[in-house]
Amino acid sequence: MARFRLLEHTADIGIEAAGESLADLFQQTAFGLRQVITSSAISLQQERRVSITAEDREELLVNWLSELLYLFESELFLAAEIDIESIDERNLLARLRGEVVDPTKIDIEREVKAITYHQIKVEEHTDGWRAQVFVDL
Amino acid sequence: MNDIKVEQIDSCRWRIPRQGAMRTDGLVFASRQMMRDLRREKALEQVCNVATLPGIVGPSIAMPDIHWGYGFPIGGVAAFDENDGVVSPGGVGYDINCGVRLLRSGLSVEEVRPRIEALANELYRNIPSGVGSHRRDLKLSVPEERKVLKKGAAWAVENGFGSAEDLEHIEAGGAIEGADPGLLSDRALERGRNQLGTLGSGNHFLEIELVEEIGDEQAANLLGLFPGQVVVSIHTGSRGLGYQVCDDHLKLMQRAAKKYGIELPDRQLCCAPLSSPEGKEYLAAMAAAANFAFANRQLITAWVRESFEHVLSKGPSDLRISTIYDVCHNIAKFETHHYQGKKRRLCVHRKGATRAFPPGHPETPALYRSIGQPVLIPGDMGRYSYVLVGTEAGFGETFGSTCHGAGRVLSRQKAKKLARGRQIEAELAERGIIVRASSRATVAEEISEAYKDVLDVVSVVEQAGIGKIVARLKPLAVVKG
Repeated sequence: MARFRLLEHTADIGIEAAGESLADLFQQTAFGLRQVITSSAISLQQERRVSITAEDREELLVNWLSELLYLFESELFLAAEIDIESIDERNLLARLRGEVVDPTKIDIEREVKAITYHQIKVEEHTDGWRAQVFVDL
Repeated sequence: MNDIKVEQIDSCRWRIPRQGAMRTDGLVFASRQMMRDLRREKALEQVCNVATLPGIVGPSIAMPDIHWGYGFPIGGVAAFDENDGVVSPGGVGYDINCGVRLLRSGLSVEEVRPRIEALANELYRNIPSGVGSHRRDLKLSVPEERKVLKKGAAWAVENGFGSAEDLEHIEAGGAIEGADPGLLSDRALERGRNQLGTLGSGNHFLEIELVEEIGDEQAANLLGLFPGQVVVSIHTGSRGLGYQVCDDHLKLMQRAAKKYGIELPDRQLCCAPLSSPEGKEYLAAMAAAANFAFANRQLITAWVRESFEHVLSKGPSDLRISTIYDVCHNIAKFETHHYQGKKRRLCVHRKGATRAFPPGHPETPALYRSIGQPVLIPGDMGRYSYVLVGTEAGFGETFGSTCHGAGRVLSRQKAKKLARGRQIEAELAERGIIVRASSRATVAEEISEAYKDVLDVVSVVEQAGIGKIVARLKPLAVVKG
């Protein structure tokens, strides 16, 4: 079950996600970003590891999604499985499994320019974590 | 945001009186209908947020194509004092020096129409667009890339892409001074190397257009425009390199804003004093990214010429494809303005707004000095675009700025929904517009209905006196990513 949804914005698109833990939440935002880029199925052929640091959890979210975007832009790598190995408010370690895609074979729906700080939220609620982030298209 | 107080000044001007933490008023150019629509989204709140930034001079201005952005609204103009003011990467945007170039040709629509499909195919093939595509014959070493970042469009001309005459007809001569490539991260340089000479995707485009109507004959003559003429528009920017420069500096500016005690209503508005090391470094990195964008549009210009020569089997002297002008619409620049009777050096941020300098201004190219700087306003792919010139009144009221395009009215998801089940390419072809795009989703999200009618936008501009309509252009072929 997807626990993210894409938000309407006049020029761009937002991702709203929910998770039981911070790790769960960050995983969902990554799936949200992938949905902005493509709805095509991604296979589990390759693995990447990423290590992210930041000053606070909002910046951690921006840096995390920016890293995924960089992997896509520099190598056309898209993740289908995400294992957040460790996370706190300023550090994240993750193992990604996915595919280096061929843009002539799968439908790349949108080119995401960047992850913004606009109205960014990473919040803990009584029933879990919620995040909101807008991407620039 | 209905709680924002807005006062109507006249039929196309609205004042948002200083309220809350605002240091100055907001000034919005819009028709009554546009203001009704604006009140339903958050763009006006963003006009107010910009007005809270330190050292702002004059009002926080919004053009009639204003829409909800991130941090600054799209369609926003804000000027800051060189001593007390700030510079904000969010006030320029991710796509640093996104802009438009217009090329004239000596061709009439009758000569081009029979070959229009072949031309669209050739442009689509010859100029990389969409995700991951680039010219295999353009390989940049790091030292060469640094030259691009210093020299801008001149780098392309020195390497055989275009002529010195092109450079005379580009804002800032195709290179912004003070660029420091050494300030760019490895990641920014890496993203740039593969993307120089690419169009990108989304609202970026390449269009073959027909001059449909002339509004000011004297100005059209000087711009070399005549009815029935074929022209070409290029809309793109600094690609991944610019996005990365913005991203890197947003991070630095978050810290800088805290360091200098600047309170921010939205983190995306983070900024630093113009006089601080952080502010100066951003401007030097931004200039490098802007120069990359100038070089990008210059390369694409050369490949447009090549494509026309190839398809029409004509030489350059028959085609006479030359640059009318090239404008930035995402930029921050130091400029000299008269404000309240005093000469001031200001850092003018234009985010989704175009510089529109008046007749006689020294930065307006010599050829156009009697009519004002050309301003290029693309509409949507199904209707039309406009060529305007800057005015003296605009120089006084908006720091020599005007609108930049049609402005979206529908979110991408709503546009996609509206396009579902329709054959958008076939609909456009029936109206004489050929579309070539690598992504069908792009075409769906860029349908005409997603945008304001650009005529409404330029009408407000003309009525307000901050721009003067010269010509209307109709698309014949559209290439998108």
